Amino acid sequence: MIYLDSAATSYLKPRNVERAMIAALHHMTSPGRGGHSLAMNAADAVYRCRAEAAELFHMKEPERVIFTMNATHSLNIAIRSLVKPGDPVVISGYEHNAVTRPLHAIGAKLRVARSPLFCPEALLEEVQRLLPGAKAMVCTHVSNVFGYVLPIQEIARLCRAEGVPLIVDASQSAGVLEVDASKWGAAFVAMPGHKGLLGPQGTGLLLCGMDGAPLLFGGTGSQSKLQEMPAELPDRHEAGTHNMPGISGLAAGIEYLLPRRAQVERRERALLAELVTLLKRNPDLELFYDEKIESQAGVLSLRCRSMDAETLAQKLSERGVAVRAGLHCAPLAHETVGTLQTGTVRLSLSPFNTTRELEAAVNILKGVLR
Amino acid sequence: MQRSCLILFRSLTYAQRGRLVLERSGITATVRKAPAAVTDRGCAYGLKLRTDRLSQALTALRSAGADHGRVFEYQSDGTLREVRA
Repeated sequence: MIYLDSAATSYLKPRNVERAMIAALHHMTSPGRGGHSLAMNAADAVYRCRAEAAELFHMKEPERVIFTMNATHSLNIAIRSLVKPGDPVVISGYEHNAVTRPLHAIGAKLRVARSPLFCPEALLEEVQRLLPGAKAMVCTHVSNVFGYVLPIQEIARLCRAEGVPLIVDASQSAGVLEVDASKWGAAFVAMPGHKGLLGPQGTGLLLCGMDGAPLLFGGTGSQSKLQEMPAELPDRHEAGTHNMPGISGLAAGIEYLLPRRAQVERRERALLAELVTLLKRNPDLELFYDEKIESQAGVLSLRCRSMDAETLAQKLSERGVAVRAGLHCAPLAHETVGTLQTGTVRLSLSPFNTTRELEAAVNILKGVLR
Repeated sequence: MQRSCLILFRSLTYAQRGRLVLERSGITATVRKAPAAVTDRGCAYGLKLRTDRLSQALTALRSAGADHGRVFEYQSDGTLREVRA
């Protein structure tokens, strides 16, 4: 199979990820629940992963790295910590349902900073206009549909200037682009473990610039006489038993990335440029890409004039090419770009994809369209 | 016989961070569950280390901004007695 769906889940992973997960099943129980060697092995593994994530994302305090189930879980903690019913909240026009649904459920008043694709100046103008009086801003770093890299550093600067706490959805950027939680000064940065961080499904991280309010309540292995959740991070947000195979696999993914993150970014961008070059002359395809390489991460959406997105993805799947079609859980992004009625076919890259795979996939695509 | 002491921390993670700070200062310490008798809120962790390294350890923790709780010394009968840190 040629796997071009890494924006959903990275399938191609370093071998140590699987090894670490198996080792966890053999040698670890629950961290913070006992003093025996199996519990302490787990505690050591959890701390190592926390410290490595803190290093990758420039967090000074590893205890501010929280383990969650996925980015959606992280975003729910962050949003519930900051937003109350009726609060005005600024979001970009490229947000995922993991952002918009929690805000809708709370009853926040959304101020959507709409701006054209690959046009950061227009987005910044809108954000600046909408920020005064907002209780929070939630913004994705990279659009999961179009790979558009939003100007998050400038957005963070505007939020700081206006005193509005910022939540960053780093689902598509963590492990690939530079994510500097300290420099951004964000209240929270949410991310999954199973995409760019190369860990397994069922893992996520929340980087906490502020303490926040717990979403889940329960045992933490600490301060057990209290009925309130502990005030300290990470315990405040980590009720219940940790996913030790998951966290161990995630640690292996992060260990792989620590010396290679910038290399991964260059690799994915080079592959994206190759993919665009291979596809852009096909008159049957409408590609959503930007000539400026820094504007886009390793995600390419396209529409086919002669075939709907789901049919095209299905035909590619039958021929051994894995892509995703539809709205990608981000109807707002499609509404912004004007693709809500059709959806798109999304091809998303991994550092382990090869030029040969891209050429083969494009040939198969051409064959389907013939 | 070598005397040992236990430095309490707010949580397991803080104890682990403290252990890393001490390791970098050349002090060996092990993370231990604290006996119930010395925990106010139940279920706490601490770092066990040689008493003759305690003063150096507390200085290292302070320098690194690694907050800790009360400090105890192990008695010959296995109980803990608080020491002024």
